[in-house]
Amino acid sequence: MAILEVNDIAAGYEGVQILWGVNLKLEPGRLTTLVGSNGVGKTTLLKTVMGLMQPIDGSVSFQGKDVTHLSAHARAKAGMVLVPEGRQLFTEMTIYENLEMGAFSPRARATFSQNLDKVYELFPRLQERTRQKAGTLSGGEQQMVAVGRGLMAEPEVLMLDELSLGLSPRLALTLFEALTRLKKTGLTMLLVEQNVTMALAVSDYAYVLAEGKVHLEGPARELSKNDEVRRTYLGI
Amino acid sequence: MLDQLISSLTDGLLLGFVYGVAAMGLTLIWGVMSVINLAHGPIIALGMFGAYLLFTHLGVNPYLAMAPVAGAGLIVGLVIYVIAVHRVINAPHLSSLLATFAVNMIIIGVGTAVFSTSPQNIDYSLGSVEVGFLTFPASRLVGAVGAILVTACLYLFLYFTRPGKAIRAVANNRMASELMGIPSSRVLALSFGLGAMMAAVAGGLIATFFPFTILSGGPYELKSFVICVLGGLGHPLGALVGGLLLGGLEGLIPTFMPVSWVPVVEFGLFVLVLLVRPSGLFGAK
Repeated sequence: MAILEVNDIAAGYEGVQILWGVNLKLEPGRLTTLVGSNGVGKTTLLKTVMGLMQPIDGSVSFQGKDVTHLSAHARAKAGMVLVPEGRQLFTEMTIYENLEMGAFSPRARATFSQNLDKVYELFPRLQERTRQKAGTLSGGEQQMVAVGRGLMAEPEVLMLDELSLGLSPRLALTLFEALTRLKKTGLTMLLVEQNVTMALAVSDYAYVLAEGKVHLEGPARELSKNDEVRRTYLGI
Repeated sequence: MLDQLISSLTDGLLLGFVYGVAAMGLTLIWGVMSVINLAHGPIIALGMFGAYLLFTHLGVNPYLAMAPVAGAGLIVGLVIYVIAVHRVINAPHLSSLLATFAVNMIIIGVGTAVFSTSPQNIDYSLGSVEVGFLTFPASRLVGAVGAILVTACLYLFLYFTRPGKAIRAVANNRMASELMGIPSSRVLALSFGLGAMMAAVAGGLIATFFPFTILSGGPYELKSFVICVLGGLGHPLGALVGGLLLGGLEGLIPTFMPVSWVPVVEFGLFVLVLLVRPSGLFGAK
């Protein structure tokens, strides 16, 4: 059974509808990626899934329960965790405090020290400077804190919005490596990524979003061979 | 002359600590939710009356009365947030200004009806303290120590407790806080409560120095604005430094010119700082 289900979601901003009935399913333990050109509504979809925006129509269910009308913090508490676009760190707080805030919910607090070890193991660079203010870090390090903070929340589903945006190819690779390591631990993930080649290479399943709807879907390997996907998103 | 200067300065500085606490309440609320609490003055006045009523009617030592006054201030702040502020929290600034101004008018209206506007005072003297050639009322010294304690507690709370860190997180990035499972609305309510608590305690302490009416909070609210601008709006520790600066000025000015010039100089400084360093003397940006 799918751990997260998005059913016929329609959403948008004042006067502009962006999503026109999106359906999506995340199978447990799978890394799913969401592909689509700029402005097609990937971020809008994630925001709606997290409850930062209310949908015009449709529903979101998580672990079999309808969460469409829950607040964002209640969803986070239940195990839906989003690493937002632009990182959105607590820039005035230290790395350690950022990680601590990640583990705010009671569920996450119970596994605080194990998760902290995991995060430090995944990103050893963070352990070297736990007392440094997050706002003073480089872009790559900030992204590591953002992912680390998300992991501290003990996610059942981890959603990552534009993981590699603005990072050097080398740092992007580091983060993708972290992703594959997380995949091996059985974590369910949803990735939104402008680097479609990389995203399809690490993912199990993919959705292509176009004109506010799911245009194509299928195993990532098949989609990366699809002519239309190659032309439109891979530039081949 | 020098003796007199130093003695006025000491007097002013001791008072400045208490001003700092009042301003901290205002700056905390601004820093967390970008709301200017125009009910700040009346909450200070409520603190004054809280200490007064506990002392006069129940015989509670005015300094011990600070604990219940703080608790009541917290509750008053929570109630004001839930009733008046929360529904306009995402609206343009004018809405929250009007909402808190309405609360201001309500408290002053009801307060005037209940307490009238004749001055009251807390008739409790600790005598005076002599340090070398300096003589000042002991109440000022105790007030300053109280203010330092309150500041220290606020600092420890914000940096070393979970709810305190949550306040800083929400102040820093409300959306990210929600994403991490922090109930940001509740955190905002708590912050507003703490801001009101600081105002009430400052009021209670001021009531041990000077006579007051329900309208007395107004001037302290204005002083709080000046202090916040000096210290940089949104920085609690800046507020303490700003309070000391303002208190020091208030002590010194009357030795050079008539007392009535104090507000002129204060607000002149306010405008000057806004023109030259709008982020405050100690503000980062």
